[in-house]
Parts: sequence; structure tokens; C-alpha cells
Amino acid sequence: MSKGFCIVMYSGTADTFMSMGVLSQISANLGVPVRIYVTGFALLYFTKNKPEPRFPKEFEDFAPKMIKGMKRANVPDWYDMLKEAKELGDVKVYGCSTTASIMGLKKEDFDPIVDDIVGATTFLNETAGYEIVFI
Amino acid sequence: MSEPTFKVDARGMACPGPISALLKAYRKAKNGDIIEILATDPGFKPDIKQWIERTRNELLELSEDENGVIRALIRVTAKRS
Repeated sequence: MSKGFCIVMYSGTADTFMSMGVLSQISANLGVPVRIYVTGFALLYFTKNKPEPRFPKEFEDFAPKMIKGMKRANVPDWYDMLKEAKELGDVKVYGCSTTASIMGLKKEDFDPIVDDIVGATTFLNETAGYEIVFI
Repeated sequence: MSEPTFKVDARGMACPGPISALLKAYRKAKNGDIIEILATDPGFKPDIKQWIERTRNELLELSEDENGVIRALIRVTAKRS
């Protein structure tokens, strides 16, 4: 396993949020540092008035079944998994500064789960040598 | 075999819940302590082996009963003092 694991959240659909929650928590369980960089449409879901992430259009008909199945299997929602990951390990969430400017969002508009608003330079420098996934 | 120092009931939890529950007990444990964990997540058997290998603790016992309850007994050996 690499030095750390980094997830770039871009698309903002519900499926990617679930993966992010699970992967963050697993990495924290294994003692692997995690850095999450939130950019693009995903950034909206990290604000204080965060909307519920939507499933992608092509899987819309499957979404109710998936939501029901998650409840049955006791899968927590992405926010709780990420919170748990942050409690268990070295997990940090950074919002993209340019996307925040584009959307007219200031530091105080973000949910406390976001550690800081930074530029991609800071993020890429801090995660040098980490595995990166873009979702 | 002595009584477990910590007992963790992670039955009904989905992955990665059981390993997180174990980690919470592990944080409080010291070398020589025994942790017993019960789980029903079907991925728990391979997952606990991986966790043991990565953290270099000792897996004393891993079994599954007829109801699908997996029981792992772990000896804490990798804590840095």
C-alpha cells in the first residue's frame, strides 16, 4: 500500500459519495492517511445547507432499490462514514478554492467536516506519492 | 485461555463498520490484551486477516458458527509504548 490515499471528488453524484465514505473509512482503519479534494459539482454537497446527493440519471430507476438495500444492510450514509473516518485516522477534507469562488462560496459557508479551502497546488504537493482516484 | 480484555459486538454492521469498531477497542488496549470481536459481515473473515497482517498483531482464533456469526480473537502485540 502507498504512503496515502487521495480522492478527488468531482461529479457529486450519490454513488461517488458512498464510495468516498467507504474508502475513507477503510483507509483510516488500516492507518493509511487520506486526503479528499472536493471540486466541481461535488463542492455544493459540502456546504452547510448541503443538498442530498442525487443518483446519476442513467441509474435513476435503480436508486430506490439501492437506498432500501443500504438501509437493510445497515450501511451508514456518506457523511457519517466520513466523520467516523476522521475520528479514526488521519483524514482531511479540502475544498477547491477556485470552485468555491466560481460558486460564490466563502469559508464560513462550508460544513465543519471541511478542514480548509485550498488551491490545487497545496493539495497536490501535500499528497505527493499518494494514490489518487478521481470520482 | 484467559478472558478477553475487550469484547466488541459488531454483529449487523456492514463493512467497514466491524474493523472500525475493533479499532476503537484497539486504541484503548495495550500489548498482551485480548480482544474478542463478533461480526456478521460476510467480508469480515478476509478483512480481519488483512488488518492483522497490516498492523502486525496476532490472530489467535477465527471461527464461524451455524448462524453466520464470525468470532475473532486477537492478541494485541503491535502497540508502541
